[in-house]
Amino acid sequence: MQNVLEMKGISIEFPGVKALDNVDFSLRAGEIHSLLGENGAGKSTLIKCLTGVNRKDSGKIFLDGHEINPTDPGNAIDLGISTVFQEVNLCPNLSVAENIFAGRQPMKHGGINWREINSRASELMSRFHLDIDVTRPLSYYSTAIQQMTSIARAVDIQAKILILDEPTSSLDENEVQLLFDVMRDLRSQGMGIIFITHFLDQIYAVSDRMTILRNGHLIGTYNIDELTKFELVTKMVGKDMDVIFNLKRAEVADDSEFMLKAEHIGNASTINDISVSIKKGELLGFAGLLGSGRTETAQMLFGVNRISHGNITLEDHEIILKQPFDAIKFRIAFCPEDRKRDGIIGDLSIRENIMLAVQSREGFMKPMSHQEQVTLANKYIKLLGIATPDCEKKAGELSGGNQQKVILARWMAAEPKVLILDEPTRGIDIGAKAEIQRLMLEMCGSGVSVIFISSELDEIIRCSNRIVIMRDRAKVAEVDGANCTQNDILKIIAEGAA
Amino acid sequence: MRKNLNLSSIMQSKVTWAVIAEMLILLVCFAIRPDFFSISYQPSTGMLYGSLIDIVNRSAEITIISMGMTLVIALGGTDLSVGALVAVAGAIALKFLRWDVLEYTTPGDYSVCPYILVLTVPLIICALMGLFNGFLVAKGGIQPIIATLILMVCGRGVAQILTDGKQFTTGYSPFRVIGQGSFLYLPMPIIITIVVVVAVALFTRKTAFGAFVESVGVNPSASRLSGIKADQVILIVFLLTGLLSGIAGLIYSSRIMSNDSNNAGLNFEMDAILAVVIGGTNMSGGKFSIIGTLVGSLIIRTIVTFVYYFGIVAEATMAFKALIIAVVIVLQSAPVREYFAKRAAKRVKVSGGVQA
Amino acid sequence: MKKQSVFSRLTNPKYIMVYATIGIFLIIYAFGAFLYGDKGFMTVRTFVNLFIDNAYFGISAVGMTMVLITGGIDLSVGAVASLTGMFIAYGTSVLNLHPLTCIFAALVMGVSLGLLMGWVIHYLKVPAFITTLTGMFFARGVCSLISRESIDIKHEFIDSLASWKIYLMKYVDGNWVRIKPIAFINFNVILFVIMIIIGTFILQKTRFGRNIYAIGGNEQSASLMGLPVGRTKILVYGFNGLCSVLAGISYALYVKSGWNLSLQGGELEVITCAVIGGTLLTGGVGYMIGTLFGVLLKSVIPALITFNGNLLSWWGKIATGLLLLLFICIQRFVVTSSKLKKA
Repeated sequence: MQNVLEMKGISIEFPGVKALDNVDFSLRAGEIHSLLGENGAGKSTLIKCLTGVNRKDSGKIFLDGHEINPTDPGNAIDLGISTVFQEVNLCPNLSVAENIFAGRQPMKHGGINWREINSRASELMSRFHLDIDVTRPLSYYSTAIQQMTSIARAVDIQAKILILDEPTSSLDENEVQLLFDVMRDLRSQGMGIIFITHFLDQIYAVSDRMTILRNGHLIGTYNIDELTKFELVTKMVGKDMDVIFNLKRAEVADDSEFMLKAEHIGNASTINDISVSIKKGELLGFAGLLGSGRTETAQMLFGVNRISHGNITLEDHEIILKQPFDAIKFRIAFCPEDRKRDGIIGDLSIRENIMLAVQSREGFMKPMSHQEQVTLANKYIKLLGIATPDCEKKAGELSGGNQQKVILARWMAAEPKVLILDEPTRGIDIGAKAEIQRLMLEMCGSGVSVIFISSELDEIIRCSNRIVIMRDRAKVAEVDGANCTQNDILKIIAEGAA
Repeated sequence: MRKNLNLSSIMQSKVTWAVIAEMLILLVCFAIRPDFFSISYQPSTGMLYGSLIDIVNRSAEITIISMGMTLVIALGGTDLSVGALVAVAGAIALKFLRWDVLEYTTPGDYSVCPYILVLTVPLIICALMGLFNGFLVAKGGIQPIIATLILMVCGRGVAQILTDGKQFTTGYSPFRVIGQGSFLYLPMPIIITIVVVVAVALFTRKTAFGAFVESVGVNPSASRLSGIKADQVILIVFLLTGLLSGIAGLIYSSRIMSNDSNNAGLNFEMDAILAVVIGGTNMSGGKFSIIGTLVGSLIIRTIVTFVYYFGIVAEATMAFKALIIAVVIVLQSAPVREYFAKRAAKRVKVSGGVQA
Repeated sequence: MKKQSVFSRLTNPKYIMVYATIGIFLIIYAFGAFLYGDKGFMTVRTFVNLFIDNAYFGISAVGMTMVLITGGIDLSVGAVASLTGMFIAYGTSVLNLHPLTCIFAALVMGVSLGLLMGWVIHYLKVPAFITTLTGMFFARGVCSLISRESIDIKHEFIDSLASWKIYLMKYVDGNWVRIKPIAFINFNVILFVIMIIIGTFILQKTRFGRNIYAIGGNEQSASLMGLPVGRTKILVYGFNGLCSVLAGISYALYVKSGWNLSLQGGELEVITCAVIGGTLLTGGVGYMIGTLFGVLLKSVIPALITFNGNLLSWWGKIATGLLLLLFICIQRFVVTSSKLKKA
């Protein structure tokens, strides 16, 4: 088959980091080619180089045999490279239809032909089985529909190459299958598709070949049937995965006392009635689909959403949580799901990020000295193995996994009794994932009660003592972590109470 | 304290550029007028005189306001109402001094209301107006620039109505002290400025308040979830800015011994914002520098002095002020700083210097 | 394809703010009619005067709306308009130039200053607030450099342009007669209306206009979508410079003089018009028709105060402030409720 795209010897250097080092990549017409690697391996950088967001320092790109040098995303589109970037890259204020056609609106009599835009957009969206009003602003719709819109835009550009960078992160199973159908359809039309995802199953479900990157180096390009999943992961991580498989569940005696008990708590806007309890040193898993009420429950236990009824007791004392500050006072900690929006304070240093929770509990009138802060920060940098030259580096400049560790450090420094972790391992690479799981279990060992929310059932089952299963904003079951399988849980999630 | 003070990071710091700019302007002034740095003592008034003293003295109002503005901008906002609050403070003070006046009379050395009220009520009212801004921002979730636009638009109206649209003058000597008196050989406004700057610096840097402001400015949502009472921080910052505008208003009206609801504090918000930005605080919020703002405010005033010395007609000050500010801002802009930082880094590498 | 009924198109949530502006304008107008209807508040003349007395604000607001939609701000408009007046006054009275020459010079000045500011904002990443503030200082300074005194404009071309008017007529007993009290529209009103129409066309019917909205919605996304962000931003500031100059011409025709301190604080009046017309200062949202009613709404308040006759004019400022507060609260409400619906 003919190569539609060829990238040769691509190198890109950022201050202090060699993001890509002499990487080759080729894409055939009519294939789906997965690009794999951990966070920071250079996948996104390679894509950004191809789409003109980042300039390459050396190397050559050939499209259909002609050398190209994309200068900006607009230029890349003109050349025939259409991209769905990792985060939804559309304009929330424009209508769905307009987002699809922005920059290439059909014209009529010297003005934009809105009628055609809207009808063509409706047609496109119905290809994804979405029957929505395309004239409403994009912000009106869920993240899944927004993601579909950006895919629809990229598909409609009718490019030679379609790049999909993590397009499935907020789609449900059906939507993913729809997307795969569209991808296969485009493949048969001879389009070359580059597909990036963290979900290994999806790679095997849809791709023809895969290319693996690690630390900016090319590891190799393989046909899909050449590597097993295990071999693939080993190649991505570069070390054995024994760490993950050797984790031991926390040990909790049956008669140990309850740390936190929430009885029939709820409020009007989120969850009506839920009861959960957690013992000292226990790890309680929360399973369920996105939007099943896991995060909302955590937010109630942390005072982000106030409860209107029910009560929460901590070590047999009733506590009232009006705002996160109160929860922190009672030594409850919460790592939120959206690291970038709710967790990391990017412009501040690692030191300041770590000391924040302790300091806010004390109030601003009782400041920690600079020396105390440095000592605290360095302690956790060492303990958690945060990769940084010193504690004054801006937290926003760290990789995703290290940012997550900084947030974890913030809460460990606050010495919590109850630690709530909402998707702490999402979007970080396997090595860091294993380390965070190990840390969680260590905290349990030292007597902290940990509530662990995750979409990945295998890690929940691997770590939890008990698992609460959520569905449609209610708790439907509670199972023992040691004696259940993924299928048990999936069944309950799908069908309701066992 | 900081270990990573290498050449590259210094060249990237906006404060560095502000200081360099101020030095250059002062040096040029010195070149034109060799007596520029000289300071003399005038026994009759008990004050020191000289161009430098004059620059600091005349920048007092802007410096004081820009201390509050620094925190507002660090929160990621702007306060447009400060100029109007200056007018309000003046109007209230003069109203209290000359409550009896129905029409224009020659002012005498007296005050109708107790002096303590003349000083405190304007400050309290201004602080409350600041609190109103803060309330709209913190509780109403309104963008600061819009929330403060409200008081900017109607603040002067309030000042006019308080004084029935009249302009009072006063001759009350204790009031004159604020803007024209002296203490420790220095003009009173300089003393007040020093007190305010030191107080704000201590309040932000010796407590964790500064860190909280920066944290909320960078990421309000994450700050709340880390336990910072963001609303409280916002309210305090706006209240403080209102209060400082009130102090500036008293100084201003004491200088002219009158209220001037139309012109008092006119464009002060602009100058204060400019001072903060030249001083190296980003308009999008985050890290702030009190010293930087102080330098920024001095730069603005020095430019005015500089333009006089250059023999340019007074009316053209604005145009030249704009040109010099434009140069400073362009030098400070991200692409230019990155360029210089890169070159500095290269030079360090070539000369074999060690970088962390 | 789903057929869109006219109703569902009109109930699109993006129009709520425009409806609010029009609604509040009608309410205040009705209020005025109720109180001062007998004094002539309801006449066509009063209505047309709203346009005549505020045309220069309106013309400037057209450009400002676009700048605000990109998420930027332009503080230089008042000073640039004032400088335009100085160009015309100084050029005709002192240099004996033809007004058209002066206007041409002003256009070159205004547009190039706008383009330059746009360039600095985009490429040097200096905040729009600071860049245009510097622009304002510069333009004001040049005004003062030209003259500190107010200069009268005496030129037959300007006189004839300023006094040119179309009387509104009505058909009575087979004859066209002037309506009473006499009402007319002049060059300024026509320029204002034309600019609103041009602005609407640009925003709704051209790719350039849609790119303005996209940039305001999310600049980074717009750039990743391949839209020409830099070019659009620079041109928007250039266009706003053009609007400022046209506003300056309109103001010069209105007062027939140039003064270095005229239109001080005008930029904020213009921004206020756009905001109460439903434009969001965060960018991405705004309509020309909203701005039109924003201008009318802001100008109906001084009209009411004049009709009252007893109130100090300062109440006008306070009323405008309260109006802003009201609109901001409505905007908050709309944003919050649309978010709730999504959840």
